[in-house]
Amino acid sequence: MQTLTPKHDRMLTVFLLFGLVILAFILTPLLYMVFGQLISNRSGLIEAVNDSAVIKSILLTMYTALAATTIAFVFGVPLAYFLARRDFPGKGIVESIIDIPIIIPHTVAGIALLTVFGSHGMIGDPLSSIVRFRDALPGVVVAMLFVSVPFLINSAREGFQSVDPRLENVARSLGASSWDAFRRVTVPLSARHILVGSILCWARAMSEFGAVIVIAYYPMIAPTLIYERYISYGLSASSPVAVLLIVICLVVFIVLRMISAGWRRYDRE
Amino acid sequence: MKKTAILIMIMLCSVIALGCIGTDTDTKTDDNVNDSATPEVHSGTLTILHAGSLSIPFAKLEEVFEAAHPGIDVQCEAAGSAATIRKVTELHKEADVVASADYSLIPSMMYPEYADWYLQFARNQIVLAYTEKSKYADEINASNWYEILRRDDVRFGFSNPNDDPCGYRSQMTIQLAEAHYGDDMIYEDLIEANSAMAMVYDAANGTYTLNMPASESIDPSAKLMVRSMEMELIAGLDAQEIDYYFIYRSVAEQHGQSFLELPVEIDLSSVTYADTYRTVQVVQANGNLVTGKPVVYGITVPMNARDPEMGLEFVKLVVSPEGQQIFVDLGQPPIVPAVGSGEVPEGVRGTVEMG
Repeated sequence: MQTLTPKHDRMLTVFLLFGLVILAFILTPLLYMVFGQLISNRSGLIEAVNDSAVIKSILLTMYTALAATTIAFVFGVPLAYFLARRDFPGKGIVESIIDIPIIIPHTVAGIALLTVFGSHGMIGDPLSSIVRFRDALPGVVVAMLFVSVPFLINSAREGFQSVDPRLENVARSLGASSWDAFRRVTVPLSARHILVGSILCWARAMSEFGAVIVIAYYPMIAPTLIYERYISYGLSASSPVAVLLIVICLVVFIVLRMISAGWRRYDRE
Repeated sequence: MKKTAILIMIMLCSVIALGCIGTDTDTKTDDNVNDSATPEVHSGTLTILHAGSLSIPFAKLEEVFEAAHPGIDVQCEAAGSAATIRKVTELHKEADVVASADYSLIPSMMYPEYADWYLQFARNQIVLAYTEKSKYADEINASNWYEILRRDDVRFGFSNPNDDPCGYRSQMTIQLAEAHYGDDMIYEDLIEANSAMAMVYDAANGTYTLNMPASESIDPSAKLMVRSMEMELIAGLDAQEIDYYFIYRSVAEQHGQSFLELPVEIDLSSVTYADTYRTVQVVQANGNLVTGKPVVYGITVPMNARDPEMGLEFVKLVVSPEGQQIFVDLGQPPIVPAVGSGEVPEGVRGTVEMG
């Protein structure tokens, strides 16, 4: 990658101009909200920081999203590797199935999940003596997992596809078992993709609202709390919570992005 | 590649949605002046924000209205009544008509800046809806329903009293049942034992005050299902997650659910029992106090309407015999004639009774 010089690459300059438009488009509402809050209603923000319900819901959101990401990781990464290495009839269909959660409206996803994981559902019923999903933590995790797992699988698969299978073969020919080759060659080379996928998965899980409120209105995650504060007390009460969530997420993401940038040296180039 | 494209599309959409919420600032336009200057030209969209329980009748009204005004595209938007009004008062969304499931929210939340009149146009009643799969559906009736809800294996739901008039009205109905059936443990057994909601009896005035905690602290047990809107409760009923839920009669009827009609003394349907209903009040988490009264829907044309004239035309249709018949057909009794309050515009004043 080269640093940008004003030399004579007109095309890149034009591209940059277009890019700045979309960047401003993303930033304007966010900055408007954050700075509007800081300038006009700083006391509201301080109140939100000191409000145990707000902090509890934000921590709960981060925790449940992490749980969803962990499950997505354990079951999604193997699938991603399989899809990256094997061709089989119907592979396109499998890949499309993985993308379905991105496409369907999240309320519909929530209703479908409630039907299956509810106490009379196909999965919820046999498990009902051990675990409860409706209005309980597992319900939040299930809803988050459903909508966010495609991001991890897709990113991990791209990572595995970028690793040349011949490298694995070389490791195998030098005596490594297939597990060793995967662990010591494939994973380090695709680690950044997997991490970025995990971050996306986690982020998507944290922002989920539509599917979660159908299956688990309680315990209340931050997006639900923001909505409830808005309905009960109006914007002035909900936006401090929203701003707090944005700021916390932003800090976490920047840190994680920096870590993942450090892993770039493992990339194929 | 395709994956990234989808991803970008989704991110874009969410940013657009966020942008709409984040940047809709005060847009006090002078469109109103322009509109009254050129009254003949009526085309474009008519934005109607309404309570979720009006979705089906308003969809019918939309058809009728669009047939009569071919240039107009009516766009109906459903939400809880409080959320509906907040779209105007907080997000400054331009709406040509606002209809709420509780008429009193219009004066209390919109006066004087966003509205200065309203019409009471329809009634409703609280019923207990269920399906044939609900537990004890074959034995429930108007004299034993609270006993059945008490049973350990029965679960029921209602919408969040902080968010939705149907939610606080359900609380009122359950409390009113105590006096009606002479059983002063009904609210305690059904609600207090299963949530952080609490009742206080004021012997001096003979009134019951139901105190709602903040939404995040309602803390319902497994027996209860509380949701912001009735839509999610319908999903819960379909999934057999709950056996019964409190809802407006019209909604149960429109969704083809079975329902139990409760005694008129407790179902908030009758003006005759207004004094009885008044003995119960609900204090919402935000401090707002709602006193029990018959379920009456309200409608107005907000002051920030883009096309107030067409908005008023729509209101006229709602309170016309044709509009009223639509409500009758859908199981929701209209108020005939509609009752006006405040600065009701000339155009509609002739067809309503001033209250």
